[in-house]
Amino acid sequence: MTDITTDVEREHSELLQFLYACPVGLIQADMNGRMTMLNPVAMQLLHRLGNASASMNVFAALEGYAPELRNMITSFSGNNGQICQGHRIHVGRPASHGNSIPMVLACTLVKLGPVSLMATLEDVSEQVAQEQRLKQADAWFASFLNGADEYGVVAIDADGRIQALDPVARQQTGFEEGDLVGAHVQVLDNPDPGSASMNITEEIEVARRDGWHLTEGWCAKRGGSRYRCQRLICVRGKMEVAAQIVPGYTVILRPLSHVGMDADQLRRRLTTDLLTGAYNRAHFFDVAEEEIRRCAQRDNAVGLICIDIDHFKTVNDTHGHAVGDLVLKAVAEACMGVLRSSGTFARLGGEEFTALLPSSDPSTTIEIAERLRAAIAVISVRIGELDLRVTASLGFAVRMAATVSLAELMQHADRALYAAKRSGRDRVVDSDAIPAAA
Amino acid sequence: MSNDDDNPLGFSQVSLMELDCLDPATRNALPYGIVGLSADGFVEVYNDTESRLAGLSQDSVIGTHYFSTTAQCMNNFMVAQHFEDEATLDLTIDYVLTLRMRPTPVRLRLLKGSGSPRDYILIQRL
Repeated sequence: MTDITTDVEREHSELLQFLYACPVGLIQADMNGRMTMLNPVAMQLLHRLGNASASMNVFAALEGYAPELRNMITSFSGNNGQICQGHRIHVGRPASHGNSIPMVLACTLVKLGPVSLMATLEDVSEQVAQEQRLKQADAWFASFLNGADEYGVVAIDADGRIQALDPVARQQTGFEEGDLVGAHVQVLDNPDPGSASMNITEEIEVARRDGWHLTEGWCAKRGGSRYRCQRLICVRGKMEVAAQIVPGYTVILRPLSHVGMDADQLRRRLTTDLLTGAYNRAHFFDVAEEEIRRCAQRDNAVGLICIDIDHFKTVNDTHGHAVGDLVLKAVAEACMGVLRSSGTFARLGGEEFTALLPSSDPSTTIEIAERLRAAIAVISVRIGELDLRVTASLGFAVRMAATVSLAELMQHADRALYAAKRSGRDRVVDSDAIPAAA
Repeated sequence: MSNDDDNPLGFSQVSLMELDCLDPATRNALPYGIVGLSADGFVEVYNDTESRLAGLSQDSVIGTHYFSTTAQCMNNFMVAQHFEDEATLDLTIDYVLTLRMRPTPVRLRLLKGSGSPRDYILIQRL
């Protein structure tokens, strides 16, 4: 047994203990991803991505979920510096927990030297879920202010008993204050029989926890009829944070016939990329997982195409981001024109797009990929006297849906895309046409 | 070192009762790590082999709460949770330890029995 005698050893030991106990996942790896140091939190997070620990390779562990990381690292030219910060890795819902929120990790990569990388991993699932709820509220509040819509206000106490109704609420529901004051607010809830959505008591519970809850449902009217409305429940007054005491809630009722923005429009705002109109990354993962499940049930194949605009950085650097944005829009428009309703099209980030083609065989997928490539190659963006042309590289993979995960499918298609880039760009590469361990 | 299969005190053969009765010299001479925990999770036994391979002195480990301080890398559903959930346990799993931040593939044998005052974790480096 060696005793820790010198100050240096003691310091070393303390430092190790400090890193070991760090509540964020810390990983040191070489440029091939082989892990040389990691702390327990990192290991725990990697465990949840599947059998990652066996390979002892951080790229292998993450690649199925964030294939773009490898490209980010290989295209990083400096000897040291930050490669990405808080890059979000959408892992999805763990198969074993049906009701839990989708898992999202935030990954920061720093190149420490020519042969060494540091990665931090953090579970940000809760924050992302919260952000999504807030975004939804934002969109709702915005639509609220846009039109001169009428909305009714009902005050309830901490136990859900009605204290007061404003004139608009009285007009909407047909009730007088005397009919309702003192009654539980559930008298205003008139859901479909057997509906699986939350009842108003559960909604109040969520509002108590999060500060608010927003839903669309049926509100009872005097005389037994009902009307469709959006219902927002907010905590009223100051919340005693320490004691978690809620003095009461404000319920805002907004009949759907008066809503300036219909549910479809609202949904579009939450699910699409504002610039290009393609689905956004988070929504793509939700939809694509569902599509693959559906295809698997019917024992169908599923195709996925990854699209990356060639030399996009040069476009941005030469002509500015405004022109870059025009190019992104034009590419998305061209792709959506080709795909129409045959696939799910999304912008994954930067100049990267993807298309998921449910129930698609290899010959259809390659045909669509070729048409996408051709449609992009004829785009011209007019800048003054200049006619800017762009091309894109595409990689695709087709697999039986029952035996492939979205992450694996993306990984295959991304490898093919990378091969398309390396072999000269402006082309389509089939993942089956490249060696497996490219 | 004798073949593990033939040795009654080998990693896969040794029983809870034998572990409880081992004298310190024998325990320290075994080729695999032995960690013995009290019913509430404090380290009571930590053999030389484990100390040497983990790079942690016995003084710094004995008496600590193993899963919450020394071995947070086992404080999860794959290891610590088993000891909490099961009344008796003899489970061998492949695992990767990160003691002192070094990823180390190991085979773990988790032992718990109603007749024994201690729970044991046996650790064989692969």
